[in-house]
Amino acid sequence: MIIKRVLVTAFVSLWSIFVLMPLLWALVTSFKSPAAVENGATYIPFLEFQPELTGWSNIFGGGGATTNLIPPLMNSIVVTLCAALISLALGTITSYGLSRYLYKAGFIKNQDIIFFFISQRIMPPIVLSFPFFLMLKALGLLDTRSGLVLVSIAGLMPIVVWLMVDFFNGIPKELDEMAMLEGYSPFEVFGRVILPLAAPGLTVAGMFAVIFGWNDFFYPLILTFGQVVTLPVAIVSLNATITPYWTLSAAAIFAILPLIAFAFAIERFLSKGSLSGAVR
Amino acid sequence: MNKLYGRLFLMPGLLTLLAIIIFPLFFTIALTFSNWSVANAGFNWVGGRNWTDIVSNERFWDAMMRLIPLSFLTVAIQYVLGFSIALIAWRGIAARRFFRVLWLVPMMTTPVVMSVVWKSIFNESVGPVNDVLMKLGMDPVPWLSSTTPAMFAIIMAEVWQWTPFMFLLLLAGLLSLPKEPFLAASIDGAGPLRTFFKVTLPMMAPVSIGAIIIRLIEASKIFDTVYAMTNGGPGSSTETPTYYIYLTGLRNFDLANGATMSITYLLVFIALLTVIGQVLSRLSKPKGI
Amino acid sequence: MLDIQGVSASFNGEVFLKDITLQAEPGHIYVLLGRTGAGKSSLMRAVGGLLPLDAGTIHFAGEDITQKPVWKRDAALVYQQFINYPNKTVRANVEFPLRKLKLSRVELNLRVDTYLKKVGLFDFANRRPSQLSGGQQQRVALARSLARQSKILMLDEPLMNLDFKLREQLREEFLDLVSVGSQAVTFYATTEITEAMMLGYQVVVMHEGSILQIGSPSEVFESPRNTLVAQIVNDPPMTLIQARVTEGNFVLGSDLTIPLPVHLRNLGDGEYTFGIRANDLVPAVDSAASESCSIQFVEVSGSETVLYVTSPSGEMVVQLEGIHDFSAGGKIELEISAERLFAFDHLGDLLIAPGIGVK
Repeated sequence: MIIKRVLVTAFVSLWSIFVLMPLLWALVTSFKSPAAVENGATYIPFLEFQPELTGWSNIFGGGGATTNLIPPLMNSIVVTLCAALISLALGTITSYGLSRYLYKAGFIKNQDIIFFFISQRIMPPIVLSFPFFLMLKALGLLDTRSGLVLVSIAGLMPIVVWLMVDFFNGIPKELDEMAMLEGYSPFEVFGRVILPLAAPGLTVAGMFAVIFGWNDFFYPLILTFGQVVTLPVAIVSLNATITPYWTLSAAAIFAILPLIAFAFAIERFLSKGSLSGAVR
Repeated sequence: MNKLYGRLFLMPGLLTLLAIIIFPLFFTIALTFSNWSVANAGFNWVGGRNWTDIVSNERFWDAMMRLIPLSFLTVAIQYVLGFSIALIAWRGIAARRFFRVLWLVPMMTTPVVMSVVWKSIFNESVGPVNDVLMKLGMDPVPWLSSTTPAMFAIIMAEVWQWTPFMFLLLLAGLLSLPKEPFLAASIDGAGPLRTFFKVTLPMMAPVSIGAIIIRLIEASKIFDTVYAMTNGGPGSSTETPTYYIYLTGLRNFDLANGATMSITYLLVFIALLTVIGQVLSRLSKPKGI
Repeated sequence: MLDIQGVSASFNGEVFLKDITLQAEPGHIYVLLGRTGAGKSSLMRAVGGLLPLDAGTIHFAGEDITQKPVWKRDAALVYQQFINYPNKTVRANVEFPLRKLKLSRVELNLRVDTYLKKVGLFDFANRRPSQLSGGQQQRVALARSLARQSKILMLDEPLMNLDFKLREQLREEFLDLVSVGSQAVTFYATTEITEAMMLGYQVVVMHEGSILQIGSPSEVFESPRNTLVAQIVNDPPMTLIQARVTEGNFVLGSDLTIPLPVHLRNLGDGEYTFGIRANDLVPAVDSAASESCSIQFVEVSGSETVLYVTSPSGEMVVQLEGIHDFSAGGKIELEISAERLFAFDHLGDLLIAPGIGVK
């Protein structure tokens, strides 16, 4: 039916344009001169304005600008990777336990423990923010990378547990038994037999952890004050005083680019069917 | 022996989480009974004073009420849009790599950074939206300096950011549906609309509910977008609970009140979540399918 | 020697093993025979350390291994559903357990090669299990367990998930593989009587978590301790009927009276439960000593016909050679070959078995 075809094509096109629009706008704006921004909206480079690199040099501290996004970038990388790795490690070990052993403390059973982990994602971060603030202050960890990593773990571990418990449940327990009968202790079974089999799940969990960690804004906002600012916080603080949109757009594109590359990687991963095998 | 190893696997993660979560939670609850603020730094017991005070905190309840249109609208739009795109992708249309990556991108971007971009887009004097509107002969809209347009702008940013998430969840659900009911429907001569409402939608009920609940939860926590785009303004008319509590506790350092609001917020949140969950699952109970 | 004493195990109220006592010597195959749920798997898992015990002890070669953790017992288990390490090649699968044995490189490789050849998979050494057929996968599992040359070897219905022909073929190879030169205490669980008879040095008849009888295959088959055992070791099931002995005669119902066969002469007067195998019931030639039966159900399998009939004295099962043209609803006259009758007392315990004499 032609009408259907037309409608669908229109819809797909509209949606795709909608998705592209903010990204393209930021990209184009990042190359504008201050005049090109302040005199009204301009769209097409070379036709409506001359592209410049002012915004881009500003974000690296060039031209007397006080912002340099490289240190925050480094902070983001370090904090995210550390938090993700630790959460992955702790979360995976815990998930393995929850998958293989039956726990019982009074009326609390495996399902309840898993729910407890998952509920941490439900809870609004603001509820814990005051104690975190005070705690980190007391420990001297405010405005430090370690402080941020510590707090991030609380948010990332539940994601890992949620994904990995399901995944481990999909690996037959008989493999564990077999390996134990063959002389391997439970730790060796976990490390040498099950973990290699869990690689796809670990990858997915790792990716989620990295994404959520990288994009976290709230905790870095309230727990850092300039020493150890992460990338999102640095960019938003550009917003605070004047709003130099050319710089802001350059900063935005700079921050988004790695994530777009990541999206390519994930799409590749998903379409290989790996995801359907991982989350069984 | 078994028990020992079992504990060894569970304890590190569980204890870490307990330490990072439970203690702070109780501390927050304790704070609600104190008067910790800039003037009274430190813990002083004041009984239930904060709890009676909060009932009359209009600004707080305004923020809470605001969540209803904000989160419901956002999630509803995301659901409809996300489902539509999922249906299209399900049929294999637009299956090219470009689209798949493109539609994935928004939810991977940093929300707060994109909010900054949206702010530039909705800028009343130099942003493209008003520019296009004026070129079309319409009046420019005071996007960020007037309440309703500001809410609209926030919702649009949220829809852009999270519809892909809905899309992914719903697509996964669609892909796992059995083929038989659809074959039966087509044999019975049901057209696409009827098939959708009588077959597809009911079968997708559990996935839909799950996706909607997840997104409702996340939408109720809105902070980043508001912080970047409107700062709760104009005035306090686009403040969300999280934002207002942030202002109270971490800008004005009125921890006691902030804590009280946090706990109230949490309790209402949990209560609503439970109710909504119940309602949705009852709605989806098969009526003689 | 493996010495199991009074072992009981249960979980959440469900009883898996009830007071199991059993001794097994190295170099022999002990067949655990019983229906599904009889406790065969549970017993093997208990021996392997995978099932926590409520009571009882297990000793091996004089040492108390009841509390020994799984990975320190020297036991191998071949599962019913062929399980191998999916991400390792066939060779790596067989090597894996051997790494724990502190063998030299040369010895290890030699063993792997030897056992791969024994199960006929030497040419498949570099394939992954997913690339093999069911039978081949099971053989990999077998090679993996055998190569360990562990002191305890257990096989849990290993042939059950294979098709009929494969099962027959492997059963023969099996006996060779498992028994020749083996110094292990071997347990083999099965529901099939033929396998038990063929493989077992001793047959352990189990039912609902308990051991009913332990004996050589012929003992268990010819002298089942009670009616329950008799039912387990006979397929099709043994027909059990109530009858009386009066003045040296076998009286069934109101119309069948025959003189007691020789082996039953010592039975006193009274009521007994008699058992007769399905192939000892024959279509009647002489209608005086026969029962009139109506056919309920006809089952043709292989080259045999099995009839499920009802008679005035109860239900009977008849097995006939060849394929016959019977149908449900029809009638048939059956004669009881009296000299093949088993006699059980009112408790179900065996009193007299044919061909062997008083138990």
